[in-house]
Amino acid sequence: MVVQASNRQETRKPFALPRFLTAEHPFPWLLPATAMMVIFGIYPLVYAIWLSLHKRNVVTRANVFDPAYNWFKVLHDERVWNALGNTLLYTVIALTIQLVLGLLIALLLDSDRKGYSILRALMTLPLVVPPAVTAMMFLLMLDGSFGVLSRSLYALNLLSPAKPILANSSTALAGVLLADIWQWTPFMVLIMMAGLRSLPKEPFEAAAIDGATAIQAFFRLTLPLMSRVIAIAVLIRGIDLFRIFDYVKVMTDSGPGTATETLTSYSGRIYFTGEFTYASTIALLTLIIVIVVSTIFMKLFRVKL
Amino acid sequence: MEQPVHLQRLRDIIAILIVALFMFPIAWWALTSIKPMSAMFNKDKVVVFDFEPTSVNYRVVMLGQSRSEIAIESGSTFGVGGSSSYDSRRTILDSLLIAIGSTTLTTLIAMLASYALSRMSFRGRDSYLNWVLGQRFMPPIAIIVPLVTMYKTVGMRDTDNLYLGYVGLILMHALINLPIAILLMKSFFDDVPKDVDEAAMIDGATRWQTFGKVVMPMVRGGMAATAVLCFIFSWTEFLLSLFLTTTIRTVPVKITTFVTSTGSEWGFISALGTAAIVPGFIFILLVQKHLVRGLTLGSLKE
Repeated sequence: MVVQASNRQETRKPFALPRFLTAEHPFPWLLPATAMMVIFGIYPLVYAIWLSLHKRNVVTRANVFDPAYNWFKVLHDERVWNALGNTLLYTVIALTIQLVLGLLIALLLDSDRKGYSILRALMTLPLVVPPAVTAMMFLLMLDGSFGVLSRSLYALNLLSPAKPILANSSTALAGVLLADIWQWTPFMVLIMMAGLRSLPKEPFEAAAIDGATAIQAFFRLTLPLMSRVIAIAVLIRGIDLFRIFDYVKVMTDSGPGTATETLTSYSGRIYFTGEFTYASTIALLTLIIVIVVSTIFMKLFRVKL
Repeated sequence: MEQPVHLQRLRDIIAILIVALFMFPIAWWALTSIKPMSAMFNKDKVVVFDFEPTSVNYRVVMLGQSRSEIAIESGSTFGVGGSSSYDSRRTILDSLLIAIGSTTLTTLIAMLASYALSRMSFRGRDSYLNWVLGQRFMPPIAIIVPLVTMYKTVGMRDTDNLYLGYVGLILMHALINLPIAILLMKSFFDDVPKDVDEAAMIDGATRWQTFGKVVMPMVRGGMAATAVLCFIFSWTEFLLSLFLTTTIRTVPVKITTFVTSTGSEWGFISALGTAAIVPGFIFILLVQKHLVRGLTLGSLKE
């Protein structure tokens, strides 16, 4: 009986596939995505590590195996430390301002009154402007001689026409930050708004009965209850900020001098000089820092995306 | 908590002012694109509305007219000169082709992977998900050097073969969007109870039929939102397009080439820039409902 049954099945399906190739097994479902990420993501990454172990001669274009050369050079390159400092400064300032502003604007716009849904929709528009275009927008507004923002700042005596904001090494980073803050504060607003919407009602009612003020309720209830949402937003935004490239490349091209040079833009600059192996090393350094810091952050705040 | 009327009024005013502040750069940008040069570069005062609107910039950028043609037509020779490289019709087509191509590819591949990640339990599933997430946070600059070398070896740079150049950039845009798409689509699949699949399969549907005819129709909205987000991310991408291509130019890269050593062509820049943000505005209004989920890779839902 049993033999007969299995025989019948075999005659119906003469070329039965092995199980791991059938739709019942995750293998075929995951194959295209995995293949793509391995060929175009992992393979280049491994190749980049391999490259970082080579010294490149820019003139002869020869890569000579010298595992310590680039990594030793990174540690002793002052421009790397300058770029790391700029990247950290940029990340911390932008993240703080975007988080605080985002939270405040979310509180402001979180209302059921008529018209607020339009305001909320408008607030998301900066998110879809291509960052390169945003950089151009702010380049136009911050132009030293006819930019509308520069002129307003001159009129208010906050800035001198002799020192345009992007051409002055002590203010250039602030100019670039302005573009980033404009574009990404709405990201924080959106996420904080979602967080506010998901808050339970009961604790707030209880607090109101106990006579808590709005400010007490905010610090004792809203913030703690939103900690997971805030941690997720900080993690995602923080990693993206650390990889900052577009605004710096377009607005100041790392200048004046190296005043706005970040790790990624420095790597890009080295790339264009032809020293590919060193460019890879700096890019890998960025990746290592991102992995280490985000892992610590996720462990510390017990967040999981 | 009801607020008193005057406080509520104050809140309305502040809310409108803040949103207006965020809208200002976009408005200024769009306004610049229809300004004549004399209004744009006025040294004495900032010209806001008191100018004669012109379509010159759009005619050059979007219709490919040359500037001298327009100057003759209008009887003025102000600002004539420069080449016709401001014609951006090819650029817009390039950008569209790459965004549509990469969105299609990402959506198809991510759909399969996310269904398995949502529906099947297997060893290493969590590690796989973490690995996908890790790809999202990899700085693209870390893989640029090897990629350019790879493409050069295979002859896939746009200078080697134009068509393969498109394929190369489409593949890269698809790659950077893939982790987002997988995680996002998985969160949409997770919203559909597993009982649905089980019921379908008990009724004799194969796994493939369950996926295509039962579950997919239930997550159509989520899939569309994912596709829209992928389109926006590809449309706005800058770094990979900058490093990987020379003859193919996407809009964000092209726009930065209008800044020359002799000065920036702000009229053309703002015209192309305004045209470049319109598709995004339309699309984002379509996916408002799923935006938070999309931006947090499916970990927060609204």
